[in-house]
Amino acid sequence: MMINRIHFLLLCCLLSGLGLIGCKTKQSEDGPKKIAIVVSTLNNPWFVFLAQKAEAKAKALGYESKIFDSQNNTALETDHFENAIASGYNAILFNPTDADGSIVNVKNAKAAGIPVFCMDREVNSNDAATSQILSDSYSGCVAIGKYFVETLNKKGKYVEILGMVGDNNTWNRSKGFHSVVDFYPGLKMVAQQSADFDRNKAMEVLESILQAHPDIDGVFCGNDAMAMGAYQALVAAGKADKVKVFGFDGAEDVVKSIQDGKIVATGMQFPEVMAQTAATFADEYFKGKRDFPQKMPVAVEMVRKDNVENYAAYGEKE
Amino acid sequence: MSKIMPPTAKRNNMRKPLRYLVFLLLVAVLAYNSVYFKKLDEVKAGSASFNAVKYASDFWNTKLIPTLNKAVEINSLLSLLKTDKEKAFKDHSHALGIGNIRYFLIKGSGVVTDVAENQVSVQIEGVAPDINIATEYIFGNAVRDASGAIDINAFSNSMDFNNVSAEINKIIREKVVPPFKSNVKKGDHVDFTGAIELNREHLQTNNLEVIPVNLKITNP
Repeated sequence: MMINRIHFLLLCCLLSGLGLIGCKTKQSEDGPKKIAIVVSTLNNPWFVFLAQKAEAKAKALGYESKIFDSQNNTALETDHFENAIASGYNAILFNPTDADGSIVNVKNAKAAGIPVFCMDREVNSNDAATSQILSDSYSGCVAIGKYFVETLNKKGKYVEILGMVGDNNTWNRSKGFHSVVDFYPGLKMVAQQSADFDRNKAMEVLESILQAHPDIDGVFCGNDAMAMGAYQALVAAGKADKVKVFGFDGAEDVVKSIQDGKIVATGMQFPEVMAQTAATFADEYFKGKRDFPQKMPVAVEMVRKDNVENYAAYGEKE
Repeated sequence: MSKIMPPTAKRNNMRKPLRYLVFLLLVAVLAYNSVYFKKLDEVKAGSASFNAVKYASDFWNTKLIPTLNKAVEINSLLSLLKTDKEKAFKDHSHALGIGNIRYFLIKGSGVVTDVAENQVSVQIEGVAPDINIATEYIFGNAVRDASGAIDINAFSNSMDFNNVSAEINKIIREKVVPPFKSNVKKGDHVDFTGAIELNREHLQTNNLEVIPVNLKITNP
């Protein structure tokens, strides 16, 4: 009896699944094509900006578009991809949650004939996405690393706060920074911890580190949200004037904090350039182009007090 | 009154602990194989199969050195940047992607005006101010990218590509800089070839820093 019930339930699930597939919207020949924008998280203003710019560019090019928030959850991201495939989206502008974990989603879209253009974060595959438009985080952090060494005079104790460990950007930034700083034995890293690119986590992480290492001279953070969190922790500990904080992204509050002398430097990324390039590539794909560069790096520029007047949040001053 | 159990129920009752044991064992094995810990710095930072050292060495010998004769004279580049910035960037710079940062493979000769901790300053006829040849901060992608002889699409992830930069810079730090730095002194005549980085949108040519590829003291 029980077995029959289970069989019945399985049959229901299978039929409803088939029903969903059968309901896949067919794209009208006359209607505008649809572009899905799947973003790792909308809990960080940087990604909100990236998604909004991609959406705006897609609309400007005459396409329907919708933003999906993966909430840094690969399973939710998979749901969004299944949804986008089933709902007849024609292209996906994608900001992955995980360089390895997201590959399968991109491959599923590709198998369904939907091109995927990665923005800012990459997947570790050269044959899944149609193109990957990525910040050159490594080079940006090399520049920051060099400035870090100069600012700290080649000596002192410092902390590194990493982003999400599954994201290549985390390691590109860390490796770029260390490719410079590790040459100076006078600079000692007393702690290296992940705060998942999150402001509150970074604050908690640094508060905890400061208990064991109250005498640090610098903090390098893998993004600006964490730099602001670290700065808050330093303010709370009464050390904001002594400890130099470096970030990465070019977020609004950090650009302002550089002007105010609270944060020393950041790496300015250009999310608008990445979002617009991704949407333009999708447009070109619809028009028949197929030979896209597999990787398209976007240069990162270091922002510090003596050049901050050239920059606004997330890019150049208009 | 004692309850008499049927033989099958007795057997089932006896098997229950065994079932629980097998189930627990299965859960334990699954849990053991599902969760593992490793240090953050042990997390894979590039594909294991890629040999950045060999790639950088091959690139240096077969692609970079043979293209050094294509380096633009620093004097003519700086003149062109003043008169036609767009042409200068279009004709002489390389960058693998989009953005304002571009790299130039340049060459020049001049007289050493200062030997400092981090750089050697060189005065070039017709060029002001002095050019700085980096001897301390040999970092970044300038040399890798300036020749335009490398293709990012040949790499499965950007970490491998970045490791190539680190290895190229290591060659410069170990083979190019030491023989030069140990002999150079103020007043020496030098020939140099190397890479510079310029920002197209916010062009600054007052404090040029050359990452050297070839350095020669050419005193008469």
